[in-house]
Amino acid sequence: MKILIVEDELSLQKSINEYLSGLGNTCSAAGSYAQALERLDLYHYDCILLDLGLGDGEGLQLLSYLKRTKRAEGVIIISARNSLDDKLIGLGLGADDYLTKPFHLSELNARILAIVRRKSAQGEHKIAFREISIDLDAKEVKVSGELVHMTKKEFDLLLYFLANKGKVISKSAAVEHIWGDDADMADSFDFIYTHIRNIRKKLMDAGSGDYFQTVYGVGYRFISE
Amino acid sequence: MKLFSKYNRILILISFLGLIVIGTLFYQMLIFYLNRQLDHDLVEEATEVKEYSTGGKFYSPHEFEDLIVQYHRIKSTRSYSIYGDTLFYNPVKRRNEHARFLRAEMELNGLPYQILVIASKMEKQEQIKNICLIILLPVCLLLIVVLLVNRLLLKKIWDPFGQLLQNITDFNINHEKPYKSVEMPVAEFRQLNQVLVDLSGKVKSDYEEIKLFTENASHEMMTPLAVINSRLDNMLQSNNLDTREGEILAELYRATSKLTRLNQSLLLLVKIDHNLLQEQQEIDLRTLLKEKTLYFQELVQQRNITMELNLSPAVIRANRQLIEVLINNLFSNAIRHNYEKGRIEVYLDAGQLVFANTGHNQALDAAKIFDRFYKDSTSDGTGLGLAILKQICARQYYRLNYDYLNDLHTFTITFKP
Repeated sequence: MKILIVEDELSLQKSINEYLSGLGNTCSAAGSYAQALERLDLYHYDCILLDLGLGDGEGLQLLSYLKRTKRAEGVIIISARNSLDDKLIGLGLGADDYLTKPFHLSELNARILAIVRRKSAQGEHKIAFREISIDLDAKEVKVSGELVHMTKKEFDLLLYFLANKGKVISKSAAVEHIWGDDADMADSFDFIYTHIRNIRKKLMDAGSGDYFQTVYGVGYRFISE
Repeated sequence: MKLFSKYNRILILISFLGLIVIGTLFYQMLIFYLNRQLDHDLVEEATEVKEYSTGGKFYSPHEFEDLIVQYHRIKSTRSYSIYGDTLFYNPVKRRNEHARFLRAEMELNGLPYQILVIASKMEKQEQIKNICLIILLPVCLLLIVVLLVNRLLLKKIWDPFGQLLQNITDFNINHEKPYKSVEMPVAEFRQLNQVLVDLSGKVKSDYEEIKLFTENASHEMMTPLAVINSRLDNMLQSNNLDTREGEILAELYRATSKLTRLNQSLLLLVKIDHNLLQEQQEIDLRTLLKEKTLYFQELVQQRNITMELNLSPAVIRANRQLIEVLINNLFSNAIRHNYEKGRIEVYLDAGQLVFANTGHNQALDAAKIFDRFYKDSTSDGTGLGLAILKQICARQYYRLNYDYLNDLHTFTITFKP
């Protein structure tokens, strides 16, 4: 996938670039409105990550530009402001998602995948990994055709790990993915362990391989291939 | 004591004492002058006796003069005269009366005599009494009038001051409405009022500035936090980490996530303070509580906590986001501070919502638990959860109570207090 990162904080821009490239995406970066315009004139992307806090209101300007020119790219707004108004303005101007800083890169990646999937004409609403297949519409998980029953949180978590195949996901990223902004329970890392154990057990009971790896007690990884 | 009563008490006391002192002095003064005048008369009388005696007769005063002259033969005369007070029997009026006497010795018709002249003070005393009354009565009357006028005037002058006090009491830094200025007829009060207007304006703008500062500071911190977070995420992907480095990363994650939550909580508090979440809608609390119970069920089950729900239908009109935060915080709180195999009871009816949970602690200090950053040392929370709870309840005009009942930490929210 081709992704444009518009972010004036260079350190963050680099991190995002590094992580997404590591997953096999092609990323380019822009630190300003002008740079972003230059890139957009030359190339088409699958997804644009846009920092709304770009200097002088350039973030919103860029968003209007994208809407005006009817670009097909999916847009995810990254903002330090967690306010409903900003969110509504952003989404009103054609953004597809809104992510509040600070976020985990695995979360960002999962959101990108979700948007690109939604945007793709064919509607690729099935994900498969070896003997595991997931129907996103029906919210069903099957192992070699056999239905595996999962709770909503387990389903979300499995999807999250699949989106970040081969990457280590920290417990804190997993907790925040499940609990979102309500995560004043984010300190209860133990329950992530319980969830992963349950998912693993259910999949293996249905005959799948063991694809979850524990990493140094920090997090978990779903193996790549 | 009220200023008014204090002032009046002092005024009455001083007037009364003053009246007594001045009255006494006045009376003494009059008595002194009276005696002097009487003494003068007595001397004149004595001179008259002497002149009269040249004709070889003894002077005898008329009966109506209230005067007596007595003569005693003596061997020889010395030159002296004594004045003094005495009582004498007035033969005309047949009673004893206060009197002044003069005793002197002189030669009458060549013979030595001691003469005693006594004059009644009765009538003069009556006069003095009357004079005193004539002067003192109007003075007393004047005093009463002054006190009454004082009372009315003070009341009138201090009335706006009372209004001013009331306005200061009503002034709330958190409300939009500014300090209400009072129309003041007195210069000093007008000045006080002006000072208060300026001061309340300054306090309000300073407070706004602090809130704005908190908001900006929290926002500014989000981008560096995002850098830290993303760097950690990348670092975690390195394949040559050992266990020790893994532990360090886990700790860094923990700290970053705590800092993030702290920041978000502060921002939420500012938002509630600013009344930014105003949009109200009907909320079916029973449905919402059931949803949230499902949402939190893994956490509850994992610690083998028993949930008891007793929910009657209840619909409230409020801001949905605030109510969700409220219920999330109540749940988080009841789970976090609970113990393995503990209990949570949730009760809902149209008037109130009650969360009760078992916990390690004994009864908590109800006056402190809703303070910002108040938490026990074992808690891993931000210390803002209950403060947010309190703020939301204040914003929605709910009453929030904490009690320790039957070994349960009980939070009661009354919707219409």
